[in-house]
Formats: sequence, structure tokens, C-alpha cells
Amino acid sequence: MEKKSRRNFMKALGVSIGAAGVMGSSTILSSCSRVETTSGDTIKLLTSSGELVEVQKSALKPADMPTLTENQKRGREGLPGRKWVMVIDLSKCRNARQCMKACQNHHQLRPEQHHINVLQMQDADHTAPYYMPKPCQHCDNPPCTKVCPVNATFKREDGIVLIDNERCIGCRFCIAACPYSARVFNWFEPRDAEKYKGVVYNIEANVPQKKGTISKCLFSADRLRDGKLPSCVSACPNGVYWFGDQNEDAVTNGTTHETTSFSKIIEENAGYTLMEELGTKPRVYYLPPKDRAFPFQGTIEENHS
Amino acid sequence: MEKIKSPEESRKLLDKITFDLTRSIVKRDELTNFWYFLLIMFALVGLWGWGIQIRDGLGVSGMRDYVSWGMYIANFVFFVAVSLIGFLISSTLHLLKINWSKPISRVAEQVAIAAVALAGIIIINDMGRPDRFLNVFLHGRFASPIIWDVTVVITYLAISVLLFYLPLIPDLALLRDKSPDDIPKWKMKIYKVLALGWKGNAEQYKLVYHAMRVLMILIIPVGLSIHTVTSWLFAATLRSGWDTTIFGPYFVAGAFVAGVAAVIIVMYIYRVRYGLKDYFQDYHFNMMGKLFVFVCLVYLYFNINEFWVPGYKMKTAESIHLTNLFTGKYAGLFWSAQLFGLILPILLMVNRFFRKPVPITIISVFVLIASWFKRYLIVIPTLEHPFLPVQNVPANFQHYTPTSIEIMITLFSFMAAFLVVTVLAKMFPVITIWEYAEEKGIDREIISEPKNQTP
Amino acid sequence: MMRKIYLLLTLALFVAKQGMSQEWLVPDDQKNIKNPSGYTLENVKAGKNLYLVNCKSCHGDPGKHNGLPLVPPPPDLISDLMQNNTDGELFYKISHGRGGMPQFEKTISVDDRWRLINFIRNFNKANRPLLVEAPPKKAKLLASVNEVEKRVEVFAEVEDKNGAYIKLPDTEVKISAKKAFGNIPIGDILTNADGRGEYVIPETLIGDENGLVNIVVELGEGFITDKVVLDAAKVGQPKPTPKLIRKQVLWSTNDNVQTWLLLSYLGAVGAAWLAIGYVIFQIFKIWKLGKE
Repeated sequence: MEKKSRRNFMKALGVSIGAAGVMGSSTILSSCSRVETTSGDTIKLLTSSGELVEVQKSALKPADMPTLTENQKRGREGLPGRKWVMVIDLSKCRNARQCMKACQNHHQLRPEQHHINVLQMQDADHTAPYYMPKPCQHCDNPPCTKVCPVNATFKREDGIVLIDNERCIGCRFCIAACPYSARVFNWFEPRDAEKYKGVVYNIEANVPQKKGTISKCLFSADRLRDGKLPSCVSACPNGVYWFGDQNEDAVTNGTTHETTSFSKIIEENAGYTLMEELGTKPRVYYLPPKDRAFPFQGTIEENHS
Repeated sequence: MEKIKSPEESRKLLDKITFDLTRSIVKRDELTNFWYFLLIMFALVGLWGWGIQIRDGLGVSGMRDYVSWGMYIANFVFFVAVSLIGFLISSTLHLLKINWSKPISRVAEQVAIAAVALAGIIIINDMGRPDRFLNVFLHGRFASPIIWDVTVVITYLAISVLLFYLPLIPDLALLRDKSPDDIPKWKMKIYKVLALGWKGNAEQYKLVYHAMRVLMILIIPVGLSIHTVTSWLFAATLRSGWDTTIFGPYFVAGAFVAGVAAVIIVMYIYRVRYGLKDYFQDYHFNMMGKLFVFVCLVYLYFNINEFWVPGYKMKTAESIHLTNLFTGKYAGLFWSAQLFGLILPILLMVNRFFRKPVPITIISVFVLIASWFKRYLIVIPTLEHPFLPVQNVPANFQHYTPTSIEIMITLFSFMAAFLVVTVLAKMFPVITIWEYAEEKGIDREIISEPKNQTP
Repeated sequence: MMRKIYLLLTLALFVAKQGMSQEWLVPDDQKNIKNPSGYTLENVKAGKNLYLVNCKSCHGDPGKHNGLPLVPPPPDLISDLMQNNTDGELFYKISHGRGGMPQFEKTISVDDRWRLINFIRNFNKANRPLLVEAPPKKAKLLASVNEVEKRVEVFAEVEDKNGAYIKLPDTEVKISAKKAFGNIPIGDILTNADGRGEYVIPETLIGDENGLVNIVVELGEGFITDKVVLDAAKVGQPKPTPKLIRKQVLWSTNDNVQTWLLLSYLGAVGAAWLAIGYVIFQIFKIWKLGKE
């Protein structure tokens, strides 16, 4: 229990609760940000964990619901004063893939679409194999936004590289430009397109996914706005992910909720970024897979470069 | 220019030239109808495939998240390449005061217009959201090579159309004034409108020459840009196989090879079909053959650079790409394309015999097909091997195989290009009559005089 | 739908096979190794500290059955599932791990692993617990921040047997600072005989854009009390917010387009279309001449 509430607490919630106990869990409702009226007395809500719930309209009173245009506008600006950074501790990963699952849930992805993908890596013939979760690297010199012909993908001041699926023309130049294979395309109707029909698009989660456009990891920007850690970070059972604001030099572990200094954890573990020789300046840092918590049990495939 | 002939001779000769060169406009037999039928059928089948693609999404193609550019982009690059011939023949050779290429100019422009128009259509077909095409203009981002490409394709198309139209004006007037009687009425009406009341006076000729000169100079930077910018779509990325500095000139050189082949094929078809033996002579094929060898040699030089330099070093990612081309999955295609599209043509066409119309046309067909596959080899193998391993995805994400819909739509693009060329040939003379007549020593005044005005 | 069910089923089976149904067998020669370190208070305490750092995040607080909801669930220390293991079995399992359980062979030394086992045995019914967790006492914590001298002043009281509050001496007070997603520990202090303590805030502490820090002060385990949050204390360095998107940069949107690039593009396109326009004008002139 805290005596005083936190200053500058995020107020950007889509709805506030009028009557408690309707959903059983008020936390689900308080995190709902997108609202769509359906028939009669019920209303469709999209929680930030990607669940679609239908509740009595009388239970809610709308507050600060962003329209599509407002959503697109604030989605382009980012969260003031922040510079998000992710640290992935390779020594803790055991290929549990809870991150991939939570991510696909949140962003309504098909099973073959990965915003985050746990790869089985081996750098050279006789070097140690390891598991490597690979989200978008949110580069500070992003090759993908450089080539976009319509300003549909862009970098925000808080470091996140985002996509506006209402703008994207589907030329896939950004896929070609990304050296990390971080981007996916909606080759067909997205998963559960029928179910999410009519739900207002949210640029900070790329949901509902749009056919014929690009999608990729966006550090769960909608959850960050609500003061929550990204889906993958929260879902990891093994303490692989640390996430935080580089400006305040602090990262929080999604599993243990321990908070530590970003610069210290990088320094002590000799953190590095992926393919730094390409000059992309990633915002995702890796801690080397030394003293592993779990032995590598995967298979290394041929299609490796 | 041959020596000035007497008016009598001139009129007779001009009549013959006009008769010969309007044969394509007049001729309409079973074969013509069948050809139209074939083109339209294929075009319709392709459009049907496109319809399916729009309904179900781009996933009906073989492209997936890793190989996200496939046959469409290869085909786009091919068409842009072919279109570049307009700039080589009707501008560069003219400015260099090379005369033999004059009768070929219009063929080159026909090919250029058809190819660049189709390139534009194919690229829309490759978009995930063709309905948002206007975003390119509404939200165009100036730093993106795609915007440059769109701009330059449109500009090139405009210049090519003008370069086709300007020398056509005196011809249209000539057809309006003294065409054979068997030209359909509706075509005559079109000629009358498009001839812009041409009188053939000195000022008008001066204007045509002046405007042509402006265009010929303008098309040089635009023509170079169109293919250089297209090469940047690849060279601007970090991927091995694309990340190279010579891609611009490499593409331009390759484009001339494909374009010369296309023009030779069209020339041969006109020569046989429209009885133009005296116009597209063995001499022209011979000269085109020499030009062909020359552009092939330039292209060979760039090929050696493009593959030898990284092949000597074999950096990790490059070596995977190159091994794949040299001895791997794409070895058959790669070596056939190099052999039939470049090395054999050079070796053969050095001999005079192979520069005769029939052998050179056969060689051109091979080169054109090889050029198409060359583009395929530029686009796809690179994408199959990204820097990070391809994992946790279905097998069809790892390797690209074109689907029947892609092949249908690609066939449609070929047929549509043929259709454009055919319509242009059926509408307008395939050689500039007045220019040709002047070459033969016929006076301008005789060219401009009305039909039955015999003194 | 069927496919989904099938997938779920396979997944469940797979998980079950990995963990639950199959017994975790330990080689016989490992099974009967005796714990070389003694069951002493010192060892148990050391074990506890190791537990808090390495194990608690999954296994939870001993006796509270609040481990992470994994499959299979990490057992509580007091459970039979845990205590029925021999020392050798525990040592083997801690060292090698399986499924969700990490291997600590490389990260915890052999001696420490045995100390950890001593801590686990503290909860064995057959043993006399050495480390007795006293029932938590009610406490009061007051804290204030001196912004000028950059100090946190703490005063702690504890409820005595009679329900009155008396000062709490020699007790650890933890100080942390709020960050985006959690509190970062910045220091510990001990209260003095008067129940008072003082913490000097390090110069390097980073606050928000204005150097404001939310400081959290809390008592260690064994006390029932609220955390004290000192809101917006001006004691930190202003958080640096270097600009990421410079005015003109190639990878940004049109708003930040480079002037030279824009001018080159517009210049080239403008020149080309001007020339095209000029040619069209010539055509217009030809048409006009034709009308005369």
C-alpha cells in the first residue's frame, strides 16, 4: 500500500469505471482503451492484452476516448521524456516462448507471424549455440523508416519505431531494408478479422491488423502508455527481459520486477547490440549467453548466415 | 542523304514509301484477328488473376515475410530495363549523329512506351494496398527511392510519348493529305486531329526539330535515372547481393542488352509481317548486331565486377549468396542466363553471319528470356538468405516458388505490352515516313503537298 | 477450431511430458550424497539470502504457496514434494535443472548450493527450525526529505506488547527511487537507538526532467507497515532527454527532410517538367502555325 499516489500518473485510459464488479475484475476494464459500440446495451472493448470483451454499456462511462485521428496523432508523438530500451539476458532464455505467445495474442497475429521470434543461434562453426529472442531492434538509425515512401513507418521521440497501418500501401520496401527480419506482412485477411470488425484501429498496438499492410514489434506502445511493461516482457517466466527508460537509466525485469541500473547491467555483463557493424544503432541490448541457466537443447539448422 | 531527285521521281518514290509504310495500318487479316484475340484472352485471364489477388490478398502469390519481393518486382525491373532502349536509340545515337539508327527510332519508342507503361502497372499490382495508391502523391516521402522511382517512371513515360509523337506529326499530316484510300475512316479522323493542322512550312519544321532536340537531351538524365533509381531500390538496403555500389551502371548496362534484344525482335516481326525488307535491311540488323555486341561486352564487364569482387573475398553473408548462385540451388539458372544471355551471344555475333536477320533474332529471343531470368536472380536469392536464420515459420516462408496467379499476372503484363506495341503499329507507321523520304532525297515541299496536286 | 484444439492438446501433452507425468529421477550415486555443510544458523541465513536472489521469483515465499503459476508449478519449500527429496536429490536438481527449473551449476558455487539446501531443511517438519520468522509486528514509519542537504530522515516505531508504540532501534530501512516500472534500490540504513536514521542521497541519482525524485522508504521484512513515498523531492539530477530526432535527418518523416535532398528532388523534377512543358508549348505553337 502506498500512502500517496504517484505524481504524473498516466491518465490516458480509455474508459473509467462507473460501477465496480461488472466484469469481475476491474483491472481488465481500466486497461481497455478502444471502445466500439455494438447493439443495444452491450459494448465491445479491446483490452491491452488483446482480449475482446463485451460488457454492459451502463457499467461504463466514456472518458478521453481517442478517435482514430487523435490516436494516430498521439501515436506519432510518443511518450514525452522517455527513451525506451530493452535488455535481453541470453543466459536466462530457455526457449519457453511465452513471449511469442503473449505477443501474438496482444497483436492479433497469425501463428506464423512473429513480432518477437526466439531463434536458435550459432555464430560460427564451433561457437556455442544459444537461444535468442529477437524483437524489432527499434534502431536509432532505422533503415526501414528511411525507405518508406509514404511516411507510414516512422520513429518517435521515445525511440519506438511505429507503423500506421491506415497509411501503409504495402510496398514491402521496409521488409527488404530491415537486416533483422523484424517485419511481417499481412498476406491474407488478418487473424480473427471478422471478430475484430468495427473495432477502431489503434496505431500503438497495430490492432486490428490490416490486410495488405506491414506489422512489427512496437514495444507494446499502448501498454507503455498505460504504465505497463510490454507483453513479452511481462510474460517471460525466466527473467530474460529487462525494460525501461534509458533517460532515467533504469530497467525493470518483467519476471522478478526487480529494477536496476541500465548502464550497470550492461557494463557488468558486457552487453552488446545485434550486428552493430551495420550502423543501425539498436535500442535492444543483449547480455551474452554465459553461465546459462538452462542448457541449449535445440537444433541448429542449415539456413543460417 | 542521297542526291536531290526530280519532282517526278520524288513523287513516285514517296508514293511507294507511303504505300509500304502504311501496310501495317491497312493490313488486317485472320492472323491479325487471331493475334488480338490471343492478347485479349491472356490479358483477361491475367486481370482475373489480379481480381483474385485483390480479393484474397497478396498471399495468393508465393511471396512471404522473408522473400517479400518476388516475380512481380523481377518483372518490373525487366520492363524498366527494356524501356531504356528508347533513350539509347532515339536520343543517344541521334545526338552522336549516327544515321543508320534513324529508321529504328520509332520501333525503339514503341517498345519504350509499352515497357514503361507496363512497369507502372506491375508495380501497382505488387502493392499490398493498391487502393491506397494515391497515398504516394498525398503523403509522398521525399527521401524514399520509391518516390523517386514513381516520379521518374512518370517523367520517362511522358518524354517517351512526346518523343514518339513529335516526329509523327508530319507523318500524320502526310497520311491525312495523301494516304492510300484503304485506311479506315476513323483512323483518318484521328490523324486529322493529331496532325494539328500541319502545313509543312519551315517554321513548323524548325519547331519540331527544336522540340525534339530538347527532348533528346532531357531524356539522357531521365533515362539514366529511371534505371539507376530502380537499382537503388535494392542497393539502398543492407542485404548481401544488393549492397553494392555498381548497381546503377550494372542495371543500365543490362537494360541496354535487354532493350536491344527486344527492338531486334520487333524489327524482325515488322520486316516479315509488313513486308519491310527494304526498310529494315540486313544492313540495319548488322549494325544492331554490332551495337548488341558492344552493350553485351559492357554488361559482361559489370558482371565480372559484380561477382568477382565479392567472390574473391567471400565474406560470410556474401559467400552464402554467391555459393547459392554459383553451385547451389540457382546454379542452373544463373549459368544458363550468363551463357545464353551474354557469353554465347557475344561469341556468335562477332561473326558477320550471326548478325543476319534470322540468326540475330533467334539470339535476341534467347537474350531477352535470359534477361528476364537475370532479374529474377537479382531479386529472389538475396531475399532467401537474410542475416538472421529463418525459423519458426512454415516451409513455404523459407523458399520462394511463384504461384500460378503470379505467372498468370506476369503473362498478362507481357501480353499487355505486346498489345500496346501492336496497337501503336496498327495505328501509326512503324518508320518515320518524312524523315525516311528526306533521306532518300525527296524535297520537303513534295512531302507536304496535297495528294492529287500533280502539275 | 479443430486445429486449434488439436494444437492446444499437443501443447498440453508436450508440457506434461516435459514436467509433470515423468518423474524426475536422480542417479543413485548422486541421491545419497550427504550435505557436507552443517545445519547451523549461519548456513541457514546464508541460504536464505541465496534463496531470495535466485529462487523466490518462481518458488515464492516459504509457506505462502505463492509461486509463479507455471506448468508444472514450482513447489513451495514446505511442501512434501520438496521435502521428500534427499539432500543429494535436491543438490542434483538445483545443479542441473529441468524444464522451467534453471541449472545453477555455473551460477551458484557448490558450497552455496549446500547452504541453500540447509535453508530448505529449515522448513522440514522433522527439523527444529533454526531461523524462526517471528510474527510480523505492527510498525510505523515516518520519513521526510531535506531537499537542501539532500538527506532522507527516517523515524520508525514499533508496537510493544501493550499496544503502545515505542521507537525501533537497529533496524534496516530500505530506500529506493521510483522508476518507470519499478523501484530501484538506492541504499539501506540502520536506525539508531532513538529509532532514527539518516540517508544521504548520492549526487548521481537521476530524477525526472526537473530532477524530482519519488523516494520510497520501507522497513524490512517482519513488520506490518505502509511504504512511505516521498513524492517529487527535488534531490536528483535532472533526467537527460537528448533529442533523438534531429531537425534534418534522412530516416525521419517529411517534417525533418533534409533541405539539400528536398531541393535536389524538387529541382530535378521541376527542371524536367519545365522542359516537358516547354516542348508541349512548342507543340501548341505548331498547332497555331497550322491554323494561320
